[in-house]
Amino acid sequence: MNKNKSFFRNQIFFLIVVIVGLSLLFGIINPRFLSQGNIFAIFQQIAVLGICTMSMTLLLISGGIDLSIGSMIGLSTVIICTLVMNGTNVYIAVLIGFSTSVVCGLINGVIVSKSKCIPLIVTLGMSYVYYGLALVISQGLFLTLKGKFQFLGRGRVLSVPVPMIILILMVLGTHFLLRNTKYGRRIVAMGGNEQMAFLSGINVDRLKIINYTLSGAIIGVASLVLVSRLGNILANAGEGYELRALASAIIGGVTFEGGRGTILGAFLGVILMGIVQNGLNILNVSSYFQTFTIGVIIVIAVVVSNIEKIRK
Amino acid sequence: MEPIIQTQNIVKIFPGVTALAGVSFDLYPGEIHCIVGENGAGKSTFIKILSGFLKPDGGEIQIRGKMYRFLTPHTAQALGIQVVYQENILVPQMTVAENVFVGRELASSWGVINHHQMIEETQKIIDSLEIRLSAQEAVENLSVAEQQFVKIVRALAFEPQVLIMDEPTAVFNVKDAQMVLDLARSISKRGIGIIYISHRLEEIIDLADRITVFKDGKKVACHNNREEKVDLPTITKEMVGREINLFYRKERKAIGKPILEVKDLRLSENSPSISFSLHEGEILGVAGLVGSGRTEIMRALFGAGKKFSGEIFYRGEKININSPQEAIKIGMGFITEDRQKTGLALGLSIIKNITLPSLDDLFPGYLISLPQETQVVEKYVQQLDIKTPSLEQEVKFLSGGNQQKVVLARWLLKEAEIIIFDEPTVGIDVNAKNEIHELMANLAEEGKSIIMISSEMPELISLSDRVIVITRGAISAELKKGEITEENIISYAFGVSANE
Repeated sequence: MNKNKSFFRNQIFFLIVVIVGLSLLFGIINPRFLSQGNIFAIFQQIAVLGICTMSMTLLLISGGIDLSIGSMIGLSTVIICTLVMNGTNVYIAVLIGFSTSVVCGLINGVIVSKSKCIPLIVTLGMSYVYYGLALVISQGLFLTLKGKFQFLGRGRVLSVPVPMIILILMVLGTHFLLRNTKYGRRIVAMGGNEQMAFLSGINVDRLKIINYTLSGAIIGVASLVLVSRLGNILANAGEGYELRALASAIIGGVTFEGGRGTILGAFLGVILMGIVQNGLNILNVSSYFQTFTIGVIIVIAVVVSNIEKIRK
Repeated sequence: MEPIIQTQNIVKIFPGVTALAGVSFDLYPGEIHCIVGENGAGKSTFIKILSGFLKPDGGEIQIRGKMYRFLTPHTAQALGIQVVYQENILVPQMTVAENVFVGRELASSWGVINHHQMIEETQKIIDSLEIRLSAQEAVENLSVAEQQFVKIVRALAFEPQVLIMDEPTAVFNVKDAQMVLDLARSISKRGIGIIYISHRLEEIIDLADRITVFKDGKKVACHNNREEKVDLPTITKEMVGREINLFYRKERKAIGKPILEVKDLRLSENSPSISFSLHEGEILGVAGLVGSGRTEIMRALFGAGKKFSGEIFYRGEKININSPQEAIKIGMGFITEDRQKTGLALGLSIIKNITLPSLDDLFPGYLISLPQETQVVEKYVQQLDIKTPSLEQEVKFLSGGNQQKVVLARWLLKEAEIIIFDEPTVGIDVNAKNEIHELMANLAEEGKSIIMISSEMPELISLSDRVIVITRGAISAELKKGEITEENIISYAFGVSANE
């Protein structure tokens, strides 16, 4: 009877096996892969994606989705750099940039909950709105932080990269939020069955707005880490993050239908993406082939997590 | 006459459970052979073997004298066996005719679909059944009952010799169900053998030529209902293996003060105004045809549906209910008709389904204590005797009866004083049904108030203290104890003036 539960555990187990197996394989081919330096490098590479995936996971589990997160990152980072280049205090600029993502999330949430439209379409449209704004503000030019605000993206604490620390804190935070708070429980229930949640006295409209806003805030953090690491950006700085975050979450067992999936799974999905990319880099595989490989992994993961349904 | 279908000792074993333990069964042309049994008795498994979707592990099947080890869906169809499933298999956007011919469209040799001929042939079948339905109507515009007819028409388009109907009336009201029964009779007159499965015993006794009773994968009895009418208690006894009280008569203390009064409630500008009251410790039955507006009225009362005007008084005090949240705050709970769609989050655990509305009562602050939550739920699972290997079990793996108990546990934990049950026992087997009825009676005994929307006469008659009948959105009658009879309810529900 408990088959589905154990199967779900299996998917996480399966992911761990694949991650360990791949790591050993890459490690045997090139021992440098398993060095502390490279492991830190992997985490540094996946930090922004990982943070975005936490945001996406919260939305997917609640029955939503946000395809505009890449554009939100673009808009936030463009605003930060523009302000800095115009002489604004860097911390004020960062605060305004962070708030931009929060407001974008809020707007998405209000439109999705009040219009009752499909979030996929609403946020697809909004991604053009935010990206368009970023283009208007940046005029399509390269913008720079002028060497300021490097700690978040490039700093180290006790030799551990700061982005890695932020990622791990975000993972632990969202895991706790989802598992141990009333808020987390309610978004899981809403994703599991919105009608049921409504009839159980949950204000689903308000909850959606809060959840999109919270997800926006997490994207704000991702924007700060990214702009700090890169130092200079174009309006398309966040391009592709929405789909890669979506893919990572789905590899980790989070589903489109909502109510299902865990932060741990999504995190493992991100790690798998990072390992594959890094390992192929170390093996000198061309980046074209990497794209192909990642695509194959996504499809395999989705098919594997659907095996239960196929059997039925 | 030679039987069309004859099975010998069919055995089917699933991991850990013997679904069929040697079933011998036969069906003659033009016969209506009903199969009854509790959920899990093996009826569905047996049907799936006859339609080729499952391979038996033993025994043999004879179709018109020819022996088969097993059937495939293809051979079953080729041999003239058609199944009308419970599930909705129709494409809503397509017309009736397109649905009837889906997968084997009539087309010219160039592959161009001949709509005209498809419509004509579909309409011919419809007309021969003497039902009112247009072959050109889109399925999404049809009522649930009409969609059921489309499924039957579709099956008949294959010119079958055997028609298997799996709970065709499960979601129907009395009138629509009657139409399905008439349809089954007229189809059998054409010489088609019908295997008919239903939980509604009254209709089976009305309809069947023979009745076969399944229990735990075995055939326990086969009655010839044509020669001598079988009575209800005999069958229920055979189904469950013990005498159960089909008509749960409760003896209860006097009913208390009014707890809820609804005055001039109107759902929209042009809808009739509705007034009724509910008392402490009372079970108020709400009768009426499906589609009469029973559910909509109660949803509006619960703050979950549209309402235009009207006043609600709670213990004499005027209150506003504009959302389920506000309704729940004054102690109301709603158990919906469709557990799967609106009652439960099927993919979530029993615990999560039960505690959802009570999180704020159980845990002040932002955090949930998981051990404490499990402890609380454990109590209710035991009290209601919910059968499950674990509290972490996803509710989709529970039987209908246990699922309904999970929904009930949700409102018991919330300590709801007023619980609205919409079809409390739909799709639930006889034993669980009795348990639910007993629970409801006990709740009323404890002083809780219950509004029970129901299409089941025995349920309405035996449980209700009072019954209001809804006809076309208005209350057409209020029946007090003693007046609550099948004849009264039906005549008011259909808008026929009752014999006072």
